[in-house]
Amino acid sequence: MSGLDGTVPALAVAVDIGGTFTDVTLVDRAGARLWTAKTPSTPDDPSLGFMAGIGKALERAGLSPTSVGQVFHGTTVATNLILESKGAVVGLITTAGFRHVLELGRQDIPRKSNMFEWVKPQRPVPPERIYDIPGRLDATGAELEPLDEAAVRRAARALRDDGVAAIAVCFLHAFTNAAHERRAAELIAAEHPQAMISLSSDVLPVFREYERSMATILNVYVMPAVSSYVARLERRLKDGRIAAPLLLMKSSGGVTGAEAVRLTPVQTALSGPAAGVVGAQFIGESAGFRDLISVDIGGTSADICLIKDGTPGLTTNGKVGDWPLTLPMIDMTTIGAGGGSIARVSKTGALTVGPESAGAKPGPVCYGGGGAEPTVTDAHLVLGHLPPYLLSGAMRLDVAAARQAIRSKIAEPLGLDLLTAARGILAIVDNHMVGAIRVVSVERGHDPREFALLPFGGAGPLHGGALARLLDIKTIVVPPAPGVLSALGLLVSNLKSEYSRTCLERPPHFDLSRMAAVLAALEQEAQAWLVAEGVPAAEREIAWHASLRYEHQGFELTVPWAGRAVTDESVAGTIAAFHRLHERLYTFAQEDTPVEIVTLRVDAIGRLPRPTLPGLPRGGAPAAAIIDRLPVEFESGRAEAPVYDRARLGAGARIAGPAIVVQLDSTTLLLPGQTAEMHRYGSLIVQDG
Amino acid sequence: MDQPAPKTVAICDPVTLEIVKGALRAAQSEMEALIERTAMSAFIREKKDFYAALFDADGRMVVGSNVPIFGDILQPVFDRYPRAEMRPGDIYWYNDCYESRGAVSHTPDQVFIAPVFVDGVLCAFAQSWAHFNDVGGMRPGSLSPDCTDIFQEGIIVPPIRVARDGAFNEEALRIFYRNSRFPAMVQGDTRASVAAVRLGEKRLVELIQRFGREVVADAFRRLIAQTEAAVTARLRAAFPPGTYRFTDTIDRDGQGNGPFKVRLKMVVTADRVVLDTSESDDQAPGPINFLMHPTVPKAILGFYFLGADPTLVFNAGVEGAVDEVVLRPGSLLQPNFPAPLGQRGLTMIRTMTACMGLINEATGGKGVASSSAYVIYYLRGDAAGGHPFLLTDGVGVGYGARPTADGIDGVYFVAQENYPAEFLDLSYPVRLRAYGVNMDSGGPGRWRGGCGVIREIELLAPEAVLSMRIDSVDHPPWGVAGGRNGGTGRAIVNPGRPDERILEPLSDGTVMRRGDVLRLETGGGGGWGHPFEREAERVLKDVLGGFVSRDSAERDYGVVLTADGRAVDEAATARCRGNAPRQAKLFHRRVYVDALE
Repeated sequence: MSGLDGTVPALAVAVDIGGTFTDVTLVDRAGARLWTAKTPSTPDDPSLGFMAGIGKALERAGLSPTSVGQVFHGTTVATNLILESKGAVVGLITTAGFRHVLELGRQDIPRKSNMFEWVKPQRPVPPERIYDIPGRLDATGAELEPLDEAAVRRAARALRDDGVAAIAVCFLHAFTNAAHERRAAELIAAEHPQAMISLSSDVLPVFREYERSMATILNVYVMPAVSSYVARLERRLKDGRIAAPLLLMKSSGGVTGAEAVRLTPVQTALSGPAAGVVGAQFIGESAGFRDLISVDIGGTSADICLIKDGTPGLTTNGKVGDWPLTLPMIDMTTIGAGGGSIARVSKTGALTVGPESAGAKPGPVCYGGGGAEPTVTDAHLVLGHLPPYLLSGAMRLDVAAARQAIRSKIAEPLGLDLLTAARGILAIVDNHMVGAIRVVSVERGHDPREFALLPFGGAGPLHGGALARLLDIKTIVVPPAPGVLSALGLLVSNLKSEYSRTCLERPPHFDLSRMAAVLAALEQEAQAWLVAEGVPAAEREIAWHASLRYEHQGFELTVPWAGRAVTDESVAGTIAAFHRLHERLYTFAQEDTPVEIVTLRVDAIGRLPRPTLPGLPRGGAPAAAIIDRLPVEFESGRAEAPVYDRARLGAGARIAGPAIVVQLDSTTLLLPGQTAEMHRYGSLIVQDG
Repeated sequence: MDQPAPKTVAICDPVTLEIVKGALRAAQSEMEALIERTAMSAFIREKKDFYAALFDADGRMVVGSNVPIFGDILQPVFDRYPRAEMRPGDIYWYNDCYESRGAVSHTPDQVFIAPVFVDGVLCAFAQSWAHFNDVGGMRPGSLSPDCTDIFQEGIIVPPIRVARDGAFNEEALRIFYRNSRFPAMVQGDTRASVAAVRLGEKRLVELIQRFGREVVADAFRRLIAQTEAAVTARLRAAFPPGTYRFTDTIDRDGQGNGPFKVRLKMVVTADRVVLDTSESDDQAPGPINFLMHPTVPKAILGFYFLGADPTLVFNAGVEGAVDEVVLRPGSLLQPNFPAPLGQRGLTMIRTMTACMGLINEATGGKGVASSSAYVIYYLRGDAAGGHPFLLTDGVGVGYGARPTADGIDGVYFVAQENYPAEFLDLSYPVRLRAYGVNMDSGGPGRWRGGCGVIREIELLAPEAVLSMRIDSVDHPPWGVAGGRNGGTGRAIVNPGRPDERILEPLSDGTVMRRGDVLRLETGGGGGWGHPFEREAERVLKDVLGGFVSRDSAERDYGVVLTADGRAVDEAATARCRGNAPRQAKLFHRRVYVDALE
């Protein structure tokens, strides 16, 4: 990758494409300067908004496109294809006898559903496009029956004739031996040269065939659209005289080059939220906090993540929509709660908030866009948490309409007064978020009180104060630009890639040489990728992990491998770490019980230079930043709150709640009893009590 | 957490109620996740045969798992341990079917319960329930169709206090572990169950401290009342006053007897709903007896009417719609001690489908069709190195079609997962050779019954003994409202080979040797509505997907495909469908009938 060897490229640009706006952040690492630009998103061809935004940012900075050293991008293309079932028409080639591997899945009715009413969700590939092919390996990878090459050719031709140009191949036990899959790929390519092919042994060589098939299918399901999208971005960059490499954010919280994304595009399924988490980690650290709970609240959903010691956790039990996606991804909890979440009273008299959202259209009642159902935003407005205007002056909010909607649809049916009803809406949505925060903290053995809360997204800072109180968290870090944290996260991310393989080893005799060979092979893949991405040796980092379980258990926990060798001591150290993690997560460890090693993983990290945030100059008296005074309806009663323009608050400025702090992309509410200070890197640090 | 002092008027407002509801659901989910992730018995960890629930101080379930198979879990503990003598740190435990009067209905299911105290006051209970792999008894896995009394089905634990003030009675646990063929697993399962109820206890304490005892107690009452009100109204709407009868059939008891009938009579008057089961057959010599707690059929009906309303929780309120359940001692649903109970799942499923039959009787066919009973087999032998292995593999079946949707294809029961082929191959001396949909096993209908599955297992160990359980072989699941019955299942060893043999559907003692193949073809669910009413395109899709054969499409659905089999021949289909009579009665099992007997 040009520019990484020795000469650190000074200029980097990050583009985060949202549903409505495309946010661009440009940073000059040398001068610690930062510019942002916002342009309307262009859903029909997002690359237009992408380039327009970059152009605008460069113009603002007065810099030439040729000076850009790296282009970072978070994309929701893969996410939307999966969630909206709009991916490619995919065919699957699988092992004979397993044609219904997707249809049967894990055969269960989900625990929270009613068996009399539940309907199986439609699979991304119906059985008529699944071909089962003779050829079988055993669990050690030894061939029991050769691959029926003629059958593969027939299947490839049939798929070709049906116009299916995206083909997944997942054979049983391919995680130990990829030979049949590789041969099948050659045969398919020969018969159907236009086909995009995805092999399970490339995407996720980990056991459990349904989950691996699904990962492979989803990969090729998004491959045509993501590939052409990436190609289009690269072309536009080239046309725009930007020669810098394009780096895309993956679900695991690191970026990778366009080439790797073309091979496994499904790795970008959580690209957008992952970028936000990286941004949260960076902002938290800049303000001196390495233990954080980040809460990204948008219009429809909230993404919640726990960051410990500056590192978000990874999970291999993720889901996207209805489907399991067991590639390593940032361990996030997503709930259907956001500013647009609709409040309703059910026939049974229950007050519910979300998951239905008014979205951007028609939007909350107060936006006057035709929304008739009261939302979380309407409740904030009625209580005075939000000024009845946006700072940009672009829009006035319709307070009367919001009041009327909450009164008629919530307060009257429940026999509550208007303000109690509005507070009730917020109490329910806040508690919903608290529940999700508990999932990533308390349920993972962490005490949320030992963490700082980092709310972001447009609606995050409105909820931060209430969430912190519910969780007894004392510190809230409101980032300088909460609405565009994802773009910043892109700029500060590292290159990252993960390589896993199932390698089941049972006590008491672990085959050290086998594990060493698997780890060496994974490390070789990892190093090759680092070289391909042009990462200088000094910036390469390799980390080994292992997934373990107690004998007879069915779920594994992943811990860092003890050291960088495969010895009895390192195995013992890894097992000791597993016992500790089991105790933290599940309240007990079983030192008397044998432990199995199931899957090995090697993570490759290529450190990229991080920009320095521009320091915030010291400002004048905070009172000078007050632009308005508005009544706010707190539970303790009505209080007049000053409205501060955040842009006018300098470093070290201290303000006290109740107060409202407004900025272009967000509004922060300080509750009575909370105080805040502007940090020298621009975050607003709120303290309680 | 800093919380305002409890209000003087201890009423739970609507907002608090929603918050408490959410917190209870989260606590219950967290308990389930803990068990799922840490337990060792394959029954629990892969098949998810476990549940968790939270109860109020009177022992009424406030939030439970979505499975209507529980009895009154707390009462057996109260009978021996007065609440006044309970203390924080206690844990109660039992699996005793007869002493609990069917609160658990076979011995491998272990119930653990922790009382929840706040400020020294007993406020609630946290409970876990899980199927342990082997608790002793006649055969590995504890349950066998050969059992003739309950003493052959494993060690019986009456309700005991296994922990006092946080200290465990290790001696009692040692006796229990010593009685298992797989003591390490049973120990791991016990630890997981105990950790789960401790977790539930902790979460309830946090919740009650946050909102106050009275507010939470009031929330408990309201949550149960909400569910009860909704369920009662819906059941009343479906069942006008009158008498409704339905009979369903279990093929055999595994010991040469059968068939056995579950006969339900529901008498609805203006102010009472009584479910009378006393006309059911006498208890069986074999272990298909279902010691049914009266709350179980109430919960089945209640759960059906609860539906998928996300604002309501599954709790004791589901029992409120039925006032009384009449049971006859000595009958299949109320066997006398010490009749064997191990295969009671078959009778439980038939009781559920009989309840669905009542709903169809009352609504003229607006309920769901019958489902096959889930299939299970046990394979026991010695793996390499002489280590004994026990494979208990639950296999999915087809569920009944609904008035709005097809039946579910290939599922076992709520939340119970299959073993992946790669997991089986890695963990047991077997190879899974095939796993797919059992074509034509779904009952034809406007909405098709779910299809069963095909599962083929090859034995790689020198020898193993097989216990098999598959029902609905002689009495396929009925269809309704014009829908036809689902397909039957069967178990075959070495299909297509000279030594092919069809197994007794409910049997034990079949010896398999290395290289032998067990092929299971499980049954489907009944259809709903006349199959000629099904859209031809749907039938085509079923043919292309391997759910329905071309022959069946033509014969049962009147849908003719083009020569290449890839499109509907519209003209031929119209002719075929137009000519056939569509005579149909309410139910179908082999023939259309007005009532099943």
